[in-house]
Amino acid sequence: MELPAAAMRRVWLRSCGAASRPNVFPRGFLSNPASRRKCLSTSSRRSIAAAEIDFDGPQSAPPPSGDSLPERPQGAPVNLDRLRIVPASPSYFTARPNFTDDLLRLRQVLRRYEALPLAPPGSAPKVAWKTFGQYKGTSMEPVKVSRYNLILDVLKRLNQIHPSLVPEEVTEELSKFKRHVDPHAYKPPPPQLDQWGRAMSVGKRKSSVARVWLVEGEGEVLVNNKTLAQAFARVHDRESAIWPLKVTQRIDKYNVWALVHGGGTTGQAEALTLAVAKAMLTHEPLLKPVLRRAGCITRDPRRVERKKPGKLKARKMPAWVKR
Amino acid sequence: MASIPVRPCLRRVSRALAESNPRDTHAHLTNPLRRWTGSTLPRASSSSPFSTSTRLAAAAAASSTRRTGSTLKISRKSNAPTSGGKPPGRGERKAFRKKIVLSNANALEVDGLGELSPRAVADPAAHCRVLALPGAVVDQLRLLGAFKPTQGWKYFRRPATLMRAESLRLASVVDGMAEGKEPFRAIVSGERGTGKSALLTQAMAMALLKNWVVISIPDPKDLILGHTDYAPLPDTEPQLYFQKAYTARLLYNTARANRDVLREHTVSQAHPGLPSSVSPDMTLDRFAQLGARDSDFAWPVFRALWAELTKPGLGRPPVMLALDGLASLAGPTEYLSADVKPIHALDLAQVRHFFEQLAGRSLGGPLAAEQRLPNGGAVLAALSQSERPPRTHTAAVELAVAQNEARAAAAEGPPARPYDRDIDHRVYDALREVRALKVGALSREEARALVEYYAKSGALMAPVSEAFLAEKLALAGGGVVGELERGTVRAGL
Repeated sequence: MELPAAAMRRVWLRSCGAASRPNVFPRGFLSNPASRRKCLSTSSRRSIAAAEIDFDGPQSAPPPSGDSLPERPQGAPVNLDRLRIVPASPSYFTARPNFTDDLLRLRQVLRRYEALPLAPPGSAPKVAWKTFGQYKGTSMEPVKVSRYNLILDVLKRLNQIHPSLVPEEVTEELSKFKRHVDPHAYKPPPPQLDQWGRAMSVGKRKSSVARVWLVEGEGEVLVNNKTLAQAFARVHDRESAIWPLKVTQRIDKYNVWALVHGGGTTGQAEALTLAVAKAMLTHEPLLKPVLRRAGCITRDPRRVERKKPGKLKARKMPAWVKR
Repeated sequence: MASIPVRPCLRRVSRALAESNPRDTHAHLTNPLRRWTGSTLPRASSSSPFSTSTRLAAAAAASSTRRTGSTLKISRKSNAPTSGGKPPGRGERKAFRKKIVLSNANALEVDGLGELSPRAVADPAAHCRVLALPGAVVDQLRLLGAFKPTQGWKYFRRPATLMRAESLRLASVVDGMAEGKEPFRAIVSGERGTGKSALLTQAMAMALLKNWVVISIPDPKDLILGHTDYAPLPDTEPQLYFQKAYTARLLYNTARANRDVLREHTVSQAHPGLPSSVSPDMTLDRFAQLGARDSDFAWPVFRALWAELTKPGLGRPPVMLALDGLASLAGPTEYLSADVKPIHALDLAQVRHFFEQLAGRSLGGPLAAEQRLPNGGAVLAALSQSERPPRTHTAAVELAVAQNEARAAAAEGPPARPYDRDIDHRVYDALREVRALKVGALSREEARALVEYYAKSGALMAPVSEAFLAEKLALAGGGVVGELERGTVRAGL
């Protein structure tokens, strides 16, 4: 595996023979949470490895230590033979150092601000966190969904801190995990009537899609250029199609011109219900509560359940056969 | 007369076999009781056919000698129904299905319900009114097959119809018809449930009230399905075929439905080839009955009756020819010719006669000399959307109707399709010039009148408001009367 450049740093070798010594933590050091926590602090890191060399800085100097390392004069060239490479992060040998660092850092921040008051339930700001795929793409590590959920748990808890009291540090940490485009921030422009006074809208149900143009009129309905009676043989389906107009007693106030495709008759009729209701809201937005109570606003998300291997249909099992 | 090959009917053959043989040919072997009685109780021993004692004794003996212990039982499906009482007899189911109920004692009497009368026929004020059919006319219409079992007559106290715009148009035709006027010929078209058959019924009712002679072919399917016998008409080129049983039935219904009118007219000319019992002073009613009684003379009598009715200068009444379901006649039939080819419907004499009257001109061939309604009259053929024959039959009719509808609306219709295989060009040529009378949705006023009549009859319980009417009209495809009835009367029952 290719090492990220930032993951390594160069330090002075303590001795010539030390180059061959593998730089490993003691056995069980990383699996023990206590020792892992210890390794986060700068001081503990220094105790493991020598301080980083600043090649260019004017004050670059060999680490202050009791070892008898040769003094390097100011501006003198660095003897690369006397350098060894050690990981930047103590999590390096966890195989997912970025993830481990992220999680530990977030937990530390949370521990620091755990006592802050929370926003009332349900009123925390809506945030679109990075999806698992996006996070995995940035960390370049084989992270599992369940691990990323650990991060998300902490993030959600941090997001619940009362908005007026959120510390700068928390805001900074949260912003690292937010999506660049916030879908919750997007508010579609309110639908408007076109120049001929038509409201256009789309409704869906099962695999049917209905497009409706609604205009003020006297109760004429055309579906795919056919009358309601020609388009739907079942009276129930016809009633479904104009149900939003009926519950609001507006059948003779509007004309409907619709195009429907896909699915069967029930799906098409109920797709029309949604489309007609949405188009009515363009004309009369105040009808929304009435239409919602009549069941014309909420899209029914159910689709045909897929067939599974080993089953005859979605759930039907083959007949039991002896032997 | 050429010999006619009989089409083998498997069902009939199997039925004949089943009747000649008992159902179970081995019953005398398998039934122990019959075997036993057959061996020890010879037929002579049961001397008295009215005494049951010997049979009872035999049965008791049979039961006592039956083997006890376990026997092999081969279960056999029993044809007898296990429960539910007596099954319906032969033809009962069909009779029930075809039953026409024209009154309902539970329906309310509608106050101020007008009646269709000779004076009211062409009254423009009758528009948007529901008018009842007079009792005598109902009986006549029933004989003419003008009522269909699927229509909703059974929901109301008495048969009544709405006078819509199309009805008034036909009413003015019937009212204004006189000798020498051009007869009204039209194909009644329209989408399903728009009231084409009901319009035909209204037209027939108005014609009967005006003392016309009405001849109706209510179910033309019967002519082409191969259910009635047929024979080649002698000395015809191209060969025509006549259906004597159907013609006899048609004459019977026509004579009974138009008895009063036909009684006023007598035979005016000699008709060669008819039995000598035809006398010059015979009424046309008796003349028609003659053909109805003896089916061998049915077709010649029908031709002669038509010649009598269409004779000018004798004050003969106008004639209305009505047919419901034109498209079933527009193509080959189930009958076979001598060289085992399907006979075209236009080669059936009865069908050809109707088509010539509908077209108002000769289609060539032996019937060409027939008179074309010089005393006035009407020829109406309705299309049927609920009984649609295959496209080979409907395509020609629909193309002709679409072209004629467009012509009536002064619009450009669909072009002729000479290379379309499904178009029957004989039919298309016959119908090309016939006007189309399109029946559409009801207007709002007509629909309101009808729905209020439903409410007054008690068939509709809901109060009739503007909103209610608007909803029912939208659900009924903008006022298709059949759908309107379905959504109001039938939905509540």
